[in-house]
Amino acid sequence: MHRYAFAFVTWLVVGLACLLASAAPAAAQPAGANNLAVELVAETDMPAPGSDVTLAFAATPDPGWHGYWKNPGDAGLETRLDWQLPRGVTASDLAYPVPTRLLIAGIMNYVYKGPFTQFATLKIPAGLAPGTPLPIRVRADYLVCTDEVCVPETENLSLTLTVGDGTITAERRARFDQWRRALPKPLGSEGKFAIADGIARIAIPWPAGAPLTDEAYFYPLTPLALTYNAPQKVTRDGDMAVIETKATGSVLRLDGVFAPGNGQGFGVTAMPGTVAASAAPDAIDWSAALVALGGALLGGLILNIMPCVFPILSLKALSLAKSGTSERHARAEALAYTAGVVLVVLALGGAMLGLRAAGASVGWAFQLTDARVILFLLLLVLAIALNLAGLFELMTPRFAGKLAGEGSGGAFMTGALAAFIATPCTGPFMGVALGATLVLPWYLGLLIFLGLGLGLALPFLLLGFVPALRRALPRPGAWMDTFRKILSVPMFLTAIALAWVLGGLKGVNGMALGLIVALGFAVVLWLVGRRQMRGVGNGAAWIAAAAVTVAGIWAISTIEKPASAGQVEKGGAEPFTEARLAALQAEGKPVFAYFTADWCVTCKVNEKAAIETDAVRQAFQKAGVTVLVGDWTDGNPQLGRFIERHNRAGVPLYLWYPKGSREPQVLPQVLSQGMLVALPGG
Amino acid sequence: MTRLIPVAAILAFALAAPSAAEQANGKAATDFKLTDASGKTVQLSDYRGKPVVLEWNNPGCPFVQRHYDSGNMQKTQATAKAGGAVWLTINSGAPGKQGHLDAAGARKFVTDKKAAPTHYLLDPKGVVGKGYAAKTTPHIYIIDAAGVVRYQGAIDDKPAARPEAMGAARNHALAALNEIKAGKPVSVAQTQPYGCSVKYAD
Repeated sequence: MHRYAFAFVTWLVVGLACLLASAAPAAAQPAGANNLAVELVAETDMPAPGSDVTLAFAATPDPGWHGYWKNPGDAGLETRLDWQLPRGVTASDLAYPVPTRLLIAGIMNYVYKGPFTQFATLKIPAGLAPGTPLPIRVRADYLVCTDEVCVPETENLSLTLTVGDGTITAERRARFDQWRRALPKPLGSEGKFAIADGIARIAIPWPAGAPLTDEAYFYPLTPLALTYNAPQKVTRDGDMAVIETKATGSVLRLDGVFAPGNGQGFGVTAMPGTVAASAAPDAIDWSAALVALGGALLGGLILNIMPCVFPILSLKALSLAKSGTSERHARAEALAYTAGVVLVVLALGGAMLGLRAAGASVGWAFQLTDARVILFLLLLVLAIALNLAGLFELMTPRFAGKLAGEGSGGAFMTGALAAFIATPCTGPFMGVALGATLVLPWYLGLLIFLGLGLGLALPFLLLGFVPALRRALPRPGAWMDTFRKILSVPMFLTAIALAWVLGGLKGVNGMALGLIVALGFAVVLWLVGRRQMRGVGNGAAWIAAAAVTVAGIWAISTIEKPASAGQVEKGGAEPFTEARLAALQAEGKPVFAYFTADWCVTCKVNEKAAIETDAVRQAFQKAGVTVLVGDWTDGNPQLGRFIERHNRAGVPLYLWYPKGSREPQVLPQVLSQGMLVALPGG
Repeated sequence: MTRLIPVAAILAFALAAPSAAEQANGKAATDFKLTDASGKTVQLSDYRGKPVVLEWNNPGCPFVQRHYDSGNMQKTQATAKAGGAVWLTINSGAPGKQGHLDAAGARKFVTDKKAAPTHYLLDPKGVVGKGYAAKTTPHIYIIDAAGVVRYQGAIDDKPAARPEAMGAARNHALAALNEIKAGKPVSVAQTQPYGCSVKYAD
């Protein structure tokens, strides 16, 4: 809080500055003009005897300057503290917030480019009389650098605490809560690592459902294990995040901070073990690729009986059959047609993937949890379903049939044309394919488009190679219309599924809003259909449809999922608050409280194997046990403090408050069904 | 002589990020040729038969200043040379970057600081620096009489910018030289170097 400027320190700094100035003008700093300002703040100025008090070193580097993490990377230096503490007071090691990466000319630095706050905990001895002053002095040496120069800076910080009752003011609480959010949380379970042939593989327990972006990174604390400036490849393997990078040497234990890429960080220790090579996920990719290819092939095949494609195909097929050309000619035509179709579809797909690549850099990673994306997909699927059901038509350009009928030599062009002209019809299917490519790697996306093209070309290809088929060609007719209407049913089912997902994201209100938007959208499409029947242009109606979509997407983004306070959660559990706990205790009710997070594998295992089982639920219900759940996924500091009070740094934490008891029994971190069922009785 | 860093590799190094431990302990050190502050061409393999210490230098770096202003680096250089070793100080700073020296600047640095390297070598393109994956100033490499890399890392075990923390430090460079001389394996053969980053060209 107070920065004492002792005269001798000033002289020291001036002297040092002169020394530096004489050696290298670039590195010289005028005294008192530090590039990194540090403020020392205690969470309470009146710590109770026998308690811990947290001190924050709130550092602010000047713009363009950066400070260093505990492991500075390829170059740099960690912060060094020299304490002068009253007798009996001890200080912990410095805790660092999650750093960022800075690669300069191939040299990796683990740094803070903006304000950052480190923590140290002081132990206040018991038995001190209230009012005893505790002068705290600390000399902090920081290295602060730009991309060009480094300057070691010293801050002589001091503050005086007074032994008291440990009161924390609201202002301090708010500041510390904010700073604490930047600290890595203990992941709670141990990782594994294997180093062989200069390659390190680290497996970190990370639930399959927890977010993981392309920016995910493992910041190593153990020196001489990983090559800092080598890229890290992060993949998922079930409930594991696997990091693969170059190794520098061999170690017996690997400590570090795992950052999934959303700003959070998790302290984790990895021990030697076997980590499967990343070939495994590749294999899964290829089986998925085959499924995708098959599905796309089928989709392309179905496109052939769409009203706008079928005429082209049948005209071309009939001309082939009628002319009675040689088999070789028929085959050449079929192959050229196929090439035309496939190339155009791949070009369209490539363009879409290009758009996706542009989108990827602005973070498509979590798009399926974005209600706006879900609503857009809902409206798209609804439009396809209504189109299939015959509510409105997508216009086929007139010249399509004309061009496709002619040109016996230009089969390639016909194919290209068929694929291109078919886009109004294939558009909806392309939309679905695009939806899939958003979540697939680019090569799988391209494979889907390839399948779509091959499927589209397949009937003509068969016609060219199997003369019997040419003769058995079905005539277009009413059956096509019936078939199309049947196809609308699965599309409507898809729309319902999307509405359900929307409900999960935005609650009942959000789902209702989504359905109202869908109704408005359907009404506009119905108007389009009516005008089409009367042969009137409907540009205005299409604009209205677009307007409804945009307005709906804007509206859904404004809806907040209702706060779950008081709402009954899974398995009859209520959200944890200290007030609710106190109320239940006052009523003399037994309480089981558990603390979990989406990124905690152990928590998930315990929930599935013990807490959320019917046996436990029934046992709790019978004994009138209230279950409280604290969700620490976003690192809520209030919950964090409560967890810390039970001598745990993080989740999982399981507390059992027997009937009428104020103090909980802390349960082990691995639960069994039997243990929980036995609780109410014991 | 036969394993001179070829031009293509130089280009590749200049384009790609240098990766760590390009020179593995126990493996032969890649040969190189550089011009020293007096214009003389120095080749690593010329010193086969003697242990060679490589020291990366940037006179503008506070960590380097700490070791020179306290006299620690000069003392280490003199002790190493007295024990029969060759000391090559290398400056891989790019022109325009902090600590870059031309030949005259390097001569002035050696005179002013009473430094005692066998040669002060100029590597303004960072070719040797990147070939050795030199990361910091100071960064130390020790190559034995047979041309094999035996030590790489920090100069000592007190990573700090303050001079007064140096007293009780273990000098990794001198310890490794002593063990090599005694025919023993180097007990601390790799450490994490500390200091400023080498100011390579962007």
